[in-house]
Amino acid sequence: MTLLDLIFNGNDTVYERVEKAVSEAVEKYGTDKAVAFPDTAYSLPSYYAMTGNKVANLGDLKEAMGVVKSMMTRNKRLHDGFQSGWATLLCAEFYEALKYIDGAKPYEAPYTGHLSDAYVREQGVPLVTGDIPGVAVIIGPAPTAEQGAALVKSYQGQGMLVAMIGGVIDQCVEQGVKTGPNVRILPLGQDILSVAHVISVAVRAALIFGNITPGDAKGLNEYTFKRVFAFVNAFAPLDNVTLACGAGAIAMGFPAITNDYPYRVPKSLIVQPDVDKWNATSLEARDIKIKITKIDIPVAFASAFEGEIIRRGDMQIEFDGSRVDCFELVQTKEASEVEDHKIEIIGPDIADFPVGSKQSIGYIVEVAGKSMQPDFEPVIERKFHSYLNCVEGMMHTGQRDMIRIRVSKDTFNAGFGLKHLGEVLYARVKSEFAAVVDKCQVKIYTDPEQCTKLRHEVAIPLFDKRDERLLTLTDEGVDVYYSCIMCQAFSPSHVCVVTPERLGLCGAVSWLDAKATNELDPQGPCQVITKERPIDERIGEYEDVNEAVRKFSQGALDDVSLYSIIEKPMTSCGCFECICGIEPLSNGVCIANREYAGMTPIGMTFPELASMTGGGVQTPGFMGHGKHFISSKKFMKAEGGVGRIVWMPKDLKEQVKDRLNATAKELYGIDNFCDMIGDETVAEDPETLLAFLEEKGHPALTMEPMM
Amino acid sequence: MPFTAKSGKFNASIKAVTIGTGDKAITIGGENVLPFYTFDAPIENAPKVGVEITDFGMENEPECIKKYYEGCTTLAEIAKKAASFEGVDFLCFRMEGGDPNGANKSTEELIAALKEVADAVDLPLVVSGSKNVEKDAELLTKAAEALQGKNAVILPAREENYKTVGAAAGLAYGQIVGAESSVDINLAKQLNVLLTQLGVNASNIAMNVGTATAGYGYEYVASTMQRVKAAALSQNDTQLQMPIITPVASETWGVKESITSEADIPEWGDQERRGVDMEVQTAAADLACGSNAVILKHPTSIATISKMIKELI
Repeated sequence: MTLLDLIFNGNDTVYERVEKAVSEAVEKYGTDKAVAFPDTAYSLPSYYAMTGNKVANLGDLKEAMGVVKSMMTRNKRLHDGFQSGWATLLCAEFYEALKYIDGAKPYEAPYTGHLSDAYVREQGVPLVTGDIPGVAVIIGPAPTAEQGAALVKSYQGQGMLVAMIGGVIDQCVEQGVKTGPNVRILPLGQDILSVAHVISVAVRAALIFGNITPGDAKGLNEYTFKRVFAFVNAFAPLDNVTLACGAGAIAMGFPAITNDYPYRVPKSLIVQPDVDKWNATSLEARDIKIKITKIDIPVAFASAFEGEIIRRGDMQIEFDGSRVDCFELVQTKEASEVEDHKIEIIGPDIADFPVGSKQSIGYIVEVAGKSMQPDFEPVIERKFHSYLNCVEGMMHTGQRDMIRIRVSKDTFNAGFGLKHLGEVLYARVKSEFAAVVDKCQVKIYTDPEQCTKLRHEVAIPLFDKRDERLLTLTDEGVDVYYSCIMCQAFSPSHVCVVTPERLGLCGAVSWLDAKATNELDPQGPCQVITKERPIDERIGEYEDVNEAVRKFSQGALDDVSLYSIIEKPMTSCGCFECICGIEPLSNGVCIANREYAGMTPIGMTFPELASMTGGGVQTPGFMGHGKHFISSKKFMKAEGGVGRIVWMPKDLKEQVKDRLNATAKELYGIDNFCDMIGDETVAEDPETLLAFLEEKGHPALTMEPMM
Repeated sequence: MPFTAKSGKFNASIKAVTIGTGDKAITIGGENVLPFYTFDAPIENAPKVGVEITDFGMENEPECIKKYYEGCTTLAEIAKKAASFEGVDFLCFRMEGGDPNGANKSTEELIAALKEVADAVDLPLVVSGSKNVEKDAELLTKAAEALQGKNAVILPAREENYKTVGAAAGLAYGQIVGAESSVDINLAKQLNVLLTQLGVNASNIAMNVGTATAGYGYEYVASTMQRVKAAALSQNDTQLQMPIITPVASETWGVKESITSEADIPEWGDQERRGVDMEVQTAAADLACGSNAVILKHPTSIATISKMIKELI
């Protein structure tokens, strides 16, 4: 027999049983006898939602049996299996409804049977918000009572709603597990058909919270699949009736996990022989993420500790990447390679090292997720600094393989160990990056040999690969740019267009950051901008970009170019790291950075330049930008590129020197270009600057006039 | 050459939202012109004025408010009295005492107070929270449940608790969700997007885009409201077309101009007059910038603003 045959058989068995019960009821009470569940406005909920027809009395119910029969088609297709599954669930609802005739109370404690609309509304709110992460429906007895109770408790500990049917209820009672609607553990009933009561909850949630029109079966199944995070745990042996009910659940989008069965259906009927793993298997199958609200460490965790300095005398231990091999790393793995919340310590713990000593450390946070991309690794990794600094009595500086961590004596004495370092990373990554990280495990190495080996064989090659990726990321090489409107709170019409070669003018939002921000918060400040309709490649103007700018500036801006300072330059909010302005005498531009307090050859200081440039207005000839943009090949590309830079403060020149020289070499074949650029030690007025430029043979002097 | 006025009628309009049930129900929004631009196109639903009372009754009110409620001892009596003031279209009950950093009244106590008020009046209701997001999540969920069938506005669903408040008010108990953001058009829009994604019907959302007393950084409020209306109408931004309800009294009756007694600074003159002036000026500015409803406290302010609206529309 095929799986479908078994489902059909289970469906037929239930149909016969219910048909008989309905006939007997009609015989006993007559067709006018009212049928309804107590405390619900939906009669009968599942049947009403599926067909749009209400059942008021036994006559209606008899008719409904005919409708259900018509669903029980027997073609050998998946659709027929689902329909028969639903037919089984509807039969179960009818059967249960008969028990409530004449206001009877068929269920006594601990059994709940039918649940009221008020309960659905009350639990529906946390279900919608994710405070109840999911609904577990457990059927039949576990191999042992301990296992049954442990499974129920594991779900309860995660805040889930648990519905139980059959033997597992007795096991919970035996093990002293408290049950009842108030603790969100619902012993529905002994008979498998009492499953109708939890199905009814899901269905009413769809009607109430999803605004599903009764009769819209497709909409109903879609809602339960997308919004009701339920799944079935059915213990072996599975009979055909349970299987048929399971087919109905699968039609609603609820996968079933069992421990022993000859058939399996990918993502829907999953066999996991080890019952102790059912919790993890179920969560993964239904894509349920558990919110982490508390970090399990013996000291405080708050941003108040971020600036805390730990002096040499106060430190229990120091991990120092400048002396020994240390590194921190995020790595993307396959879901099967990551066991969520596993924290491994390879090597001695803090307690095993002498007080005040310098040691090696390397920690790898391995993450897996359907939406995870290796491009997010550095974005996550860069947050480690802030996470670890938030721990009371812990100091973290640097990044990659140049990290230094100090742990204070007080914190160590409070019981802090490396496991807790792992806990902090785990908890923060899981909660802050929940949109992309489904599973996360942490490996902490303190064995010096391993640290050396992993640093050179794993970490450094990966860092190199990332750098290479950043270097090869060009505006031409990507399909989309991103908008950034983080600053609109105080600069209402400003929009940054962030491209791989032009980071946000604040210097804090690179194209990869914007991409990650968009992925993590799809409604947030960074939105995708396509670049399919170029208007003018020279100045970097696109129709799509203009449309986006118009939209995000609420119509304040019509068009911007990406690569020109003269024609439709991009606007600035006020957070620019640097401002670049035209210096007419030398036919070039001067750049001033925020830290520079002196005068520029333009005749304006940084604050004076800032007042010209900010506020989201286009000022041709002035442009705010990030420091990294200075060495970009796209810097003022329309006006001839970096060769236009004639002056910048000495400090800034030092910071950008290597990369700017490389760019100039590539674009113009000029060596040591920075030596041709003036600074405050050379000139603060245009005439002296011009003389200096002429002496050096600066390329700007021979370029086309800018205006 | 004759002068031909250009019509400022837009093709887009603000969503009309009905609050309350029965004869006293009010509708706000629906217009396709800028505030009070009746010369461009008729404005069907004039802006509405609400009166605010809190769970503290008269306990914390200034003398000049108390005197209008003389003889009222219970919340029900206070609510009835408030509803009787000239020009009142709806009643706002603010559960100020729920704040854990303040009186920290229990949810049960506040919901009982809310029920008392709701039973006493037949005006449309606006329920406002404690200003504490965690407490509000619980409090407003219970408030939405307690007011089932009243079609009330559950005011502050904020970025931090919009899921709970939105799901309870907008989905479970069929109320109107009041989306509150703090003086930023993007945040206002984002909250509306999030609420609609949660499943709340866009026609069951009203906004509070932020509020301030005139003279207290008010230009940010004014500019935010104007930009919201401009985006809603001129750019047909459907996620900003929800009508705006602005609480005024809770802001203006906290500033020094309104609460300093005449004895303390005699040259400022009569305190009541000052308080009313601050309230009226702020409310008038809110309405001119695009609020579809304002929530006030002093009977004179309510009557004045109500008269202003009638004269203009």
